[in-house]
Amino acid sequence: MPEGFKLRICFRKTGPLRFLSHLETGRAWERAARRARLPYAVSQGFTPRMRIAFGPALPVGTAGEREYVDILLTRFVPVAEVTERLGASVVPELGLVKCGYVSPAEASLASRLTIAAYEVEIEGGSPQQETERSLVTLMGTGSLSVEHKGKQKVFDLSQALPKEPEVRFVEGRTIIRMWVRMGDQGSLRPEVFVTAAVGRDRVVSVTRTDLLIDDDQGWRRPL
Amino acid sequence: MAVSVPSDLWPQVERLLSRVERPSRYIDHEWGAHRREMAAYRVALMYPDAYEVGMANQALQVLADRLREIDDIAIERVFLPWVDMAAAMRETGVPLFTLESCAPVADVDLLGITLSNELTYSNVLEALDLAGIPLRAADRDDTHPLVIGGGPSAHNPEPMASFFDAILIGDGEDAVLEIVAADRAAIGRGAKRMERVRALAAIEGVYVPSLYAPGPDGRLVATAPAPGRVRRRVLADLDSYPAPTCPVVPYADVVHDRATVEVLRGCSRGCRFCQAGMVYRPVRERSADSIVRDALAGLTCTGYEELSLTSLSTADHSQLEAVLRRLVARLDGTGTAISVPSLRVDSFTVPLARLLGDGRKSGLTFAPEAGSQRLRDAINKNITEEEIITAVEQAFTAGWRRVKLYFMIGLPTEIDDDVRAIGALVERVLGVAREATPKAERGGLRVAVSVSTFVPKAHTPFQWDGQVPIEEVRRRQGLLRESMPHRGVELSWHDPSSSLLEAVLARGGREMADGIEAAWRAGARFDAWTEHFSLGRWLEAFASVGIDAAEAASAPYIQGGPLPWSHIDSGLAEGFLRLERSRTDSATTTPDCTFEDCTGCGVCPGLGVENVIAGGGSRA
Repeated sequence: MPEGFKLRICFRKTGPLRFLSHLETGRAWERAARRARLPYAVSQGFTPRMRIAFGPALPVGTAGEREYVDILLTRFVPVAEVTERLGASVVPELGLVKCGYVSPAEASLASRLTIAAYEVEIEGGSPQQETERSLVTLMGTGSLSVEHKGKQKVFDLSQALPKEPEVRFVEGRTIIRMWVRMGDQGSLRPEVFVTAAVGRDRVVSVTRTDLLIDDDQGWRRPL
Repeated sequence: MAVSVPSDLWPQVERLLSRVERPSRYIDHEWGAHRREMAAYRVALMYPDAYEVGMANQALQVLADRLREIDDIAIERVFLPWVDMAAAMRETGVPLFTLESCAPVADVDLLGITLSNELTYSNVLEALDLAGIPLRAADRDDTHPLVIGGGPSAHNPEPMASFFDAILIGDGEDAVLEIVAADRAAIGRGAKRMERVRALAAIEGVYVPSLYAPGPDGRLVATAPAPGRVRRRVLADLDSYPAPTCPVVPYADVVHDRATVEVLRGCSRGCRFCQAGMVYRPVRERSADSIVRDALAGLTCTGYEELSLTSLSTADHSQLEAVLRRLVARLDGTGTAISVPSLRVDSFTVPLARLLGDGRKSGLTFAPEAGSQRLRDAINKNITEEEIITAVEQAFTAGWRRVKLYFMIGLPTEIDDDVRAIGALVERVLGVAREATPKAERGGLRVAVSVSTFVPKAHTPFQWDGQVPIEEVRRRQGLLRESMPHRGVELSWHDPSSSLLEAVLARGGREMADGIEAAWRAGARFDAWTEHFSLGRWLEAFASVGIDAAEAASAPYIQGGPLPWSHIDSGLAEGFLRLERSRTDSATTTPDCTFEDCTGCGVCPGLGVENVIAGGGSRA
């Protein structure tokens, strides 16, 4: 996206709306921007389209607490005003978390966001230490072979999971926090890792809590 | 009246969603969805097909908007879950649910079901069964909702009559309010089911099948308080009824995913095969001001990127050019496309082409219906080959590179030369399209030809005609394929086996109900989806209840004799339909009464209405 004002929107996708596909979520934000009457830029050519770009896709059924979308505006609208107008144009389950402007020259969200933080809730009564041990044991094997569309794919766990997963007990629920590296080669799905560690049919829900940039300044949010 | 909060099935539904395709069909929470927790009366409005088809239905949005004006009632949407979801629901004991409250459909007071086409009939049974509501109205009791149908196919209600407590014939805008008011009053009196149902028979346009029984000559005879003939309900004008401007905006990729404004209702062109053109008379145009107002309000409220100006024949609107000019000016720079459904070639003009050519260049659709002038005259299409050629030439000169042409085979009086004439006409169209296209762009030029099989319908001049037998349809398709140019033409067929079923269900009487139920029990559902449709299953089901479906589709009715829909008064005079049928044989055309004199169809005097032309007077 060249000249113009690049608006970065951070939003959540929760509750029943976690079942939206990436495409459906995208269309929903496009329509929200129209309802909010943002001065969005339109592409040139035969079929003019809104200049809009999304972060990495969230699988159907996975909730997201901080997802991102960039929209190119043709004129500057103060952040407070955008926040009010956009906030009033979406349903709470697809709510606006915050928004702000970034440099139009900034690389795309899809290429910048390489770390995803997840919370995986599991059920079944194993004590915290046992769950932790299962995770440590699996990490210790160094790799995980995953079947995807009939093909075996081997993940190097130290690459795929750049930080050790953590286990927390919150109000009687067992939650595994983990950080996954995303790249061109695909990323390890958190529920696949957790299932391999603690056994089948234990994952209750998966939430992507954060998407992060990893560069020489360390890990940080894109907004 | 007691205020109730529905039970919430969401925790059970949610558990199924990771197992099914396209879960967004079942999650509600779209922009524009309304939820009313506390309500004294609950209505569920169902389109009996998958979410992505049903959400395109404007009638349900219109009716929901009308009913929502009543403060203390809840209006909820229902669609038929896809086969994977239905299987998961049966396996886990989850009944059919409404979207907004995720509540059991069986718990509402009134279930309204659209009868939009015959291929959704099996879906109605599937939905009732999933809901746990007895299929036959006669088997329901005070614990079950009233099940009320309506929509285009209701003009011959008989095949589906025993599954409904009542069926509305005609426009629903006012009738739904009266139905709900009458039922609430009946409930307030402590009325039992039969009395609630009988109370509906007093409302104009409402047909209560249980109050009609076959008389000595086969015609259905009414029992008091039902009227002898049910008079079609019709609005005098549309301008007093704003188009829904804040409809539910789906997340899923649905059919016709765009803002829509109905610019006119009814069509008086008088095509003899067209049921809609007969049963939605008279013509009622919305004024240019209200179209522009509702279109802009709709786009603002929904955020849609496309606006469709819908009707049976949008280009016939007397102020269409002015409407388009105003909309184009207001939507400039927003990337919003304006589309109109199929156009009549004789209403297509250069300025119109230019106005539609701005924004996105979607394809244009014309419906010549028949290849030869004789047959076009016989069906009263009232367009000439030169008009077709001129329209195509203008469209391609204005920048279109794709045109779609609709044809039918099996029309009454069709002979082989008429079928071959389709190929010759397409050849000419292709020729002028090439001529009008710069050489460098000719590679992308396409003429799509879509051919369907004629289905005779009730309340049309062809209501007495049988359908051409399927073997003969296939032979004529072969003939057409041979006569069609190959390069630059995309030829597609509407499956004649589903047209056969449509004919059986469109022409049949009450006896068809057993066949429909048998077919559903044998697994028929989603018949409009090629991958789920099986003619064999339907033929066997009909045979099992003693009906020869092929015969039922093709046997003509005798003029003057009883018809299954004799007790439905669409407003059309039988003499008019007979005269139109006789003019078919002599290929004599009848003019359009919005341009020329009254044709005597009987609707205006019969129903106490008249054509409403936005600019006043006539369209001429």
